Parts: sequence; C-alpha cells; structure tokens
Amino acid sequence: MTEQFKPYANEADVIRIGDLEIENRVDRVTLTGNIVLSRDKAGLALAKELQALVEGVVKALEADKALPEAVEVRQAQSVKNPFA
Amino acid sequence: MFRSFFFKKVLPAGPCHAKPSTGCGILRAMPRFPSFALPLPLLACLAASLALPAGAATQCPAHFAAGSAPVVTNPKLQARTQEVCFEAFAVLHSGISRTPLYSAEHLTRANLEAAQDLSRKDSFHPESSLPAQDRAELKDYARSGYDRGHMSPNADFATRSAQAESFSLANMVPQVHANNAGIWAGIEGATRQLALQEGELYVVSGPAFIGSDIKQIGRVLVPTHVWKVLYSPKQQRAGAYVVTNDETREYSSLSVADLEKMVGISLLPGLPQKVRDAGMELPKPVSPHDRKGKGKKGQGGQGGQPAEEEFTLKDFSRSILDAIGRAIKH
Repeated sequence: MTEQFKPYANEADVIRIGDLEIENRVDRVTLTGNIVLSRDKAGLALAKELQALVEGVVKALEADKALPEAVEVRQAQSVKNPFA
Repeated sequence: MFRSFFFKKVLPAGPCHAKPSTGCGILRAMPRFPSFALPLPLLACLAASLALPAGAATQCPAHFAAGSAPVVTNPKLQARTQEVCFEAFAVLHSGISRTPLYSAEHLTRANLEAAQDLSRKDSFHPESSLPAQDRAELKDYARSGYDRGHMSPNADFATRSAQAESFSLANMVPQVHANNAGIWAGIEGATRQLALQEGELYVVSGPAFIGSDIKQIGRVLVPTHVWKVLYSPKQQRAGAYVVTNDETREYSSLSVADLEKMVGISLLPGLPQKVRDAGMELPKPVSPHDRKGKGKKGQGGQGGQPAEEEFTLKDFSRSILDAIGRAIKH
C-alpha cells in the first residue's frame, strides 16, 4: 500500500493505515484519525506500514533542495457573493 | 439488464444527469412516467411517490426522505445546477460555486454494519459527468490550505464502489482542516451512531455562503458554514447541525425550517411542515477517538464517549438568525 503512495506527488491519493487516513497533497501530507498499534502481529504489520509511509515522507522532503522554512499557501481571493 | 434498458428508453435528456447506479434505476423514472407498465412489486412504491408532495425532479428518489429531492428557493442558487446521482448518495452541484449545494443519503443500519471495512486506497477526482467549465478540478484546491471536505462521508457507505464515488469533487467543499478533522468528523460519527441505534436516518449535508463577500480558492467558493440535516423516521423528527467553516469547536442546532431560510433551499419538501418546524434533539458530536461512530469496543477504552467538553452546543439565538435573514435578504 505505502509503496504506491508517493508523498507530495499528486492531489488525489488517499490511503488508510488502521483508522488513519492519509491524504496526498502537493504541499502537504495529512494524517487524520487514529491508529492503535497493538502488541501483536497485526500491530507490527501496521507499525511497519506507518514506518514506510513516514520514511517516504522524510526521503521526499530531504530530497527537496529548495525546501522552504514554511510552505506557502495561495491566498484565497475575496469575491462578491453570487448567491446574496 | 431490464433496468438499464428501461432507463435508457424512457428518460429523455434532461437537466438531471444520472450515474449508473444499483439502487434506483427504475425508481428514477417513476415520478415522470406514471403511466408506464411497471413490475408489480414497484406499484406500491409508485403509489406512495404519487401521494407525496412534490420535490424537485430527481432521477434517484431513493436517496431522499419521502422520495422528494430538495427544492432550491433562492433563484440565485438555481443557476448552473445539475443533479448527480451516485450509487449511495445524490448531490445538486452548482457550477457557480463548483461545490455541491447539498449531498443527500439514506443511512441504514444494515449498510453501516456492512461498511465496517473501508477501502485501503481511494482517489479524489473531478466529476467527469459535469461540464468542464462548471466542475472543480484538483488544481483548484491545490496549495490552498483547505481540505476537500466530504459532504456525504465515505465511511457511511457499504460498498467499495460507493466509497470510491464519495471522493468525487462534486461531493466536496473547501473546508478548514481543523473543522473537517474535528467537529465535522464528530458530527458525522454521531450521525452514524444514531442511524445504527434507530435503524435508519435520512441525511442531507451542504455548505452555506452567507454575507456580501465570499472567499474563493482557484475557481471554487469557500463556504462560510457547513450544515447537516438529520431526519429520523422513527422519531418523526428532524433537525440540523450548523457550524462555521473555521476552527470552531462549537455547533448550533437549528430546526430544518430555520436552516432552509438560511441556505435558500427547501431541504425536506416531502415532510410535514410541523416536522420541519419542530427541531430535534441532536446527539453530541462524538470524540475523535470514536469518530467512525461504529461503537467500537476494546480499542483504548475511550470509544463511544460523547465529547461533552470537546464540542459544545452554542445557542443560535433568534437574533443571529434574523441577522442572517437580513443579510441574505429573504
């Protein structure tokens, strides 16, 4: 699962590890929800998936030679409410 | 086979676009073509639908309470709208905001119990059945800082195909992340829990665009509020959660009638006015530890606890409603 997830590569991918939902964006990767790493084989499998995901994120960020201090977000425009 | 044949034969090109759907192929055609010979088991449904007050034209009445689709009452909202019917929910999409104006679903206990496992992989995608100039694209949301917030959430759906369809941008609005992952997720969880308890709920969710100026990202309008209407057939009651689209941890509880005034859409046109006026005691948004709302047990011990201190009910007083009413000049 995590091997198909290329952090920051697109705006489309969503994967799940446990109840954690991981969303790919070009300027961020979001992890939402929760995950229980139980002390059993299932817990180990989830932990390894999480590890692979985070390793991929670290690798992608380290490979970015122009990594900014803080990512820049496009400011929302203000428009006249067409429905008012 | 019969369904698709029937559907293609009788439905002319109209304002509504239908996706291939499993549940309501024949039902779609019924309100418009009552004189067609229909298989016997459907005659009862036909009679029922004819007896009900008229909603907007829809090709997927099964997703709506009493089979009646919401009716847009603010004419400015009506421009460039198109219904999109999915397997397990329906949206009315606006080519002006490039968001849904509502997304409607019928939650049942059986479906929620079948929805225990979510797909491991999904994909946000533009809605290819909408005209290119009217639909949101992934790039509209890119680098905006906003989440693509589901109106009908993927965790509600029993099948992989219905879950996958819920990632259509026709079902999304730009939503502040803390809101989407916080109180909104809590409202979604509480909604599922109530549907599990009661057996079924009709749910309509959507954005509100209130005020003289609105934010826009790419070509997509950012709602000022998001709301969720719950109709409980068991209680014969309906009510609505309303939250501002920001980092709020407060929500308001409105009657359907008040929300209808606020958003300019008659949301439950098939229900008696007294149900729309009366409001409903809404369950508290669930805590993030149990936001799937499936009443999980044995995972950390915090599952299922109402987050009484986390999310609080705000008194949405008459005066605030009146101010909104004046602002939107009804």
